[in-house]
Amino acid sequence: MSNVATKVSWSGREREEAEGETTPLLNGTGAAAASASKPRQLTPSSSASRLGHLSDVYLDEDSELEMDAPCSLPHEIPHSEKLLSLKYESLDYDNCENQLFLEEERRNHTAFRTVEIRRWVICALIGIFTGLVACFIDILVERLAGLKYKVVKGNIDKFTETGGLSFSLLLWAALNAAVVMVGSTIVAFVEPVAAGSGIPQIKCYLNGVKIPHVVRLKTLVVKVCGVILSVVGGLAVGKEGPMIHSGAVIAAGISQGRSTSLKRDFKIFEYFRRDTEKRDFVSAGAAAGVSAAFGAPVGGVLFSLEEGASFWNQFLTWRIFFASMISTFTLNSILSIYHGNPWDLSSPGLINFGRFDTEKMGYTIQEIPIFIFMGVVGGILGATFNALNYWLTMFRIRYIHRPCLQVLEAMLVGAVTAAVGFVMIYSSQDCQPLQGNRVTYPLQLFCADGEYNSMATAFFNTPEKSVVSLFHDPPGTYNPMTLGMFTLVYFFLACWTYGLTVSAGVFIPSLLIGAAWGRLFGISLSYITSGWIWADPGKYALMGAAAQLGGIVRMTLSLTVIMMEATGNVTYGFPIMLVLMTAKIVGDYFVEGLYDMHIQLQSVPFLHWEAPVTSHSLTAREVMSTPVTCLRQVEKVGTVVDILSSSSSNHNGFPVVESVSNGSQSLGLRGLILRSQLIVLLKHKVFVERTSLSLVHRRLKLKDFRDAYPRFPPIQSIHVSQDERECMMDLTEFMNPSPYTVPQEASLPRVFKLFRALGLRHLVVVDNHNQVVGLVTRKDLARYRLGKEGLEELSLAQT
Amino acid sequence: MGPATVLLLPGVLLGLCFGDSLFPSRHFVFQSGQEGRALGGWRLPLSLELLEEAEDLSLLGSESLRDLLELEPECRELLAAFTNSSVKLTGCLVRSARPVRLCQNCYRQFREINDQLENITRAVGNTSESSKCAKSLLMSDRLQIVVILSKFFNDTWEKANCANCLKNNSEGLSNSTVMFLALFNASLTCFEHNLQEQEGSLVNNYTQVCKNCSVTYKNLNALYKRMQESKQQHDAEEQSHLCIDVEDAMNITRRLWSRTFNCSVPFSDTVSVAAVSSFILFLPVIFYLSSFLHSKQKKRILILPKRIQSTTSLVNIQEKCH
Repeated sequence: MSNVATKVSWSGREREEAEGETTPLLNGTGAAAASASKPRQLTPSSSASRLGHLSDVYLDEDSELEMDAPCSLPHEIPHSEKLLSLKYESLDYDNCENQLFLEEERRNHTAFRTVEIRRWVICALIGIFTGLVACFIDILVERLAGLKYKVVKGNIDKFTETGGLSFSLLLWAALNAAVVMVGSTIVAFVEPVAAGSGIPQIKCYLNGVKIPHVVRLKTLVVKVCGVILSVVGGLAVGKEGPMIHSGAVIAAGISQGRSTSLKRDFKIFEYFRRDTEKRDFVSAGAAAGVSAAFGAPVGGVLFSLEEGASFWNQFLTWRIFFASMISTFTLNSILSIYHGNPWDLSSPGLINFGRFDTEKMGYTIQEIPIFIFMGVVGGILGATFNALNYWLTMFRIRYIHRPCLQVLEAMLVGAVTAAVGFVMIYSSQDCQPLQGNRVTYPLQLFCADGEYNSMATAFFNTPEKSVVSLFHDPPGTYNPMTLGMFTLVYFFLACWTYGLTVSAGVFIPSLLIGAAWGRLFGISLSYITSGWIWADPGKYALMGAAAQLGGIVRMTLSLTVIMMEATGNVTYGFPIMLVLMTAKIVGDYFVEGLYDMHIQLQSVPFLHWEAPVTSHSLTAREVMSTPVTCLRQVEKVGTVVDILSSSSSNHNGFPVVESVSNGSQSLGLRGLILRSQLIVLLKHKVFVERTSLSLVHRRLKLKDFRDAYPRFPPIQSIHVSQDERECMMDLTEFMNPSPYTVPQEASLPRVFKLFRALGLRHLVVVDNHNQVVGLVTRKDLARYRLGKEGLEELSLAQT
Repeated sequence: MGPATVLLLPGVLLGLCFGDSLFPSRHFVFQSGQEGRALGGWRLPLSLELLEEAEDLSLLGSESLRDLLELEPECRELLAAFTNSSVKLTGCLVRSARPVRLCQNCYRQFREINDQLENITRAVGNTSESSKCAKSLLMSDRLQIVVILSKFFNDTWEKANCANCLKNNSEGLSNSTVMFLALFNASLTCFEHNLQEQEGSLVNNYTQVCKNCSVTYKNLNALYKRMQESKQQHDAEEQSHLCIDVEDAMNITRRLWSRTFNCSVPFSDTVSVAAVSSFILFLPVIFYLSSFLHSKQKKRILILPKRIQSTTSLVNIQEKCH
């Protein structure tokens, strides 16, 4: 007993106090407490006898993580992709059907009728706010980028006449670096989770992994500001990917009816303060984000379905579609007002690929093999992109992990992007006559008066505008040399940029690379066949863009629909589908998709659809963690506090077993209780003694648990006095009385299927006598992965 | 003349017969007219001229036939006026095609043709007489040549963006255009003047022109840019052009200036640009090298899971321990 007490170390207690604890208790629970200290790590004797070679593991009653392993020293390894981080936890998707829940259901069954209506209202709000955020980003980027390019253009024009263009170069690079510095600083120092496109993070969230801070208001603010600054800073990035993350954060915030960051509770939507409900709204938010970004409502729903949601039902589809439509509509109406023709609702999403005229740009049967070939090229280039980015990201994780270094790196990339662009424009000989103001920022440089530098339309512009001009500029606007150089340079720039500590997406850069080589391909096709095939460069640019994007992110269904909707052309559906399919097949042969790769590099315990195929020989007994820290139905407060505050066992779910032992093997499983529930119980001091003395004025309701969600206070913040430590807690009322269990012999795929389909967090492994043998959690399942040499096992690591 | 009359005869005769007939119902006459036209159709087009020739036959019933085929006199007048002005406008447009002087030369004619068209259409709803004109001139056949022509003129005008260099109700050139054209002429005169001087010297470079005319040229360029900017501010549309006259004049001048005379020689400081850019490009190399050498590599602390050590497992757990 004293042994246990001294082992425990948590902030509020001193060692001397712990010694005083050894005095026998007066309230008659001493005997129970004394016995309770022992069997925390339950090991059924039956299983122990069967697995004789394991017995040494169970001998130590305080067996902690480090103790029960043959290699005792915690050793360090460099970061690699074969790790699972302890930082990530699961979300609780399993509904806890405890007595409180049943009571609430019985008491106000009328309230459940309005729940469905409230869901629709929330979806509408998600759509509206996502659309507004998209407008805000769009307008601000346009304004700021316009300002920047105007200043630089004025400077270049001035120095072209008088000499001293190197100053213009310096100005451009300095402006870029300065803007990127601000954008990168807020990401690196304020909210690192806002870095990147956010799609991997949302994918993990919807898979059931709790990424810290991912759906906070602070993240949204940093994300929005960060993306504006990085696009204005001239990096090779787009603002579409972050829209998806923003939509998800908005959804998570609205559906809760409060903001924990701002400490405001609007007292609405309290019913939805659970992980399960929040997950559904987050997928709606992601869809609304896509729909605002590309003007593709159906594409948004399919994106949520394909990339995001690991859990789906039919009712959700229609609701998510509603949110997507509202989001596009909001964006359209606000942008139409901004552009001075109010109530014209035809202005589509953030990126408008423009209309492709079907009659002028139809396709014939001969072109199908060519498109497929483009798909192959896209797959290979995409795989190259991912492989290069993999090495770079690995290097970044290992060496560039300090925030100031990250900011410095982003600044350097900004400056180099400007420098490379300037050199390309400077050395380009491709001059094209000015026609009206089709070109937003025409740079003359060394061209004759009345002409502009064609390379400058590609580099001296925001990437979105460059994509559109590659799609739609009439044939002959770019010469092949320009396109080739641009593709090459932009490929490396985009690859270098993705993974920086700035919030930015990879969609637009990929489209831009693809559009450039696609256009080049189209031009050279009609050149090689000497006009036999009239290949419209714009059409081939579109196919190239699809192929490149498909090769990098490996999306199929949703990307096809997004491209179709963004170009407003259903006719191209078939060729785009073929191109994306080929690109995915070819790309998957080499490396996996960019998002999956980044999820792996972040050591996230991500559960794929299926268990690895060769894993049937593994049983639950080999997969599970054991021994398990169990609680009794009526447990001593001190014990609970000690378990919760023990640094080594930061478990989240505790099986609850019978409290009275009659015989040696009767401690059967009775339920499961979560750490969060225990903390709420401790906070409200729901102790048996207090209840019997009628110190507790009211019974605890489900609302108390919801109010604490999602940020439950840490155990250190709860003060439990010495007297209280000797009280007892009755967990029967609060635990989940029917946790899912599997027998020890269940195979890994079976366990996996159950776990994955139900979105579980804990799966208790029991023996024939319903005694707890082990516990399967997400990390136990996610560590098996099919590698090059068969089944691999990932290690757990502290990151 | 002979065979033509013969050809005409059946129709006329038909009309004559029906005119004479006991039941001169409108219905029948109409049918006969149809037939006559159809009959004429497969031989030769039954032209109005021929009908006019046939007029002097002064046969009974020719009146009603001509009424049917002929335009009303007012309408004919309107058509003639439209013909006139379209001839004038077409001539003007083609004459001022190169160098483009469309807007300055033809705006009067364009206004005229618009007036004519308005004369025809305006009356639609006014009196029955003139509405008949609009109907017969504008929408009584498939081709609708008047509509095609006026549409063509309007489209051309719009494409040339002439409204941009005219005053509001196109009664004359706008102030900025007049100013621009004056400057344009001044710079052309300057070029000419200097080239003539140069011819004597027999040196085939244009330094003289470049030196002497640069002020005028720059003024012209600046004015053009100002006009462009004000145009852009005026309407925020994507495609906004100045009027074609101004654009073309500027293009000609610019081409002369920078291509023929080779006057705009930009300062290229390749050396300094190369130096600065290679400096910037070199920075990341230093950055990555130094962070590779000096930054402490981030290590992950392995956590060993609580797990049954199974010997039968095909997964090699021991691997983690060394």
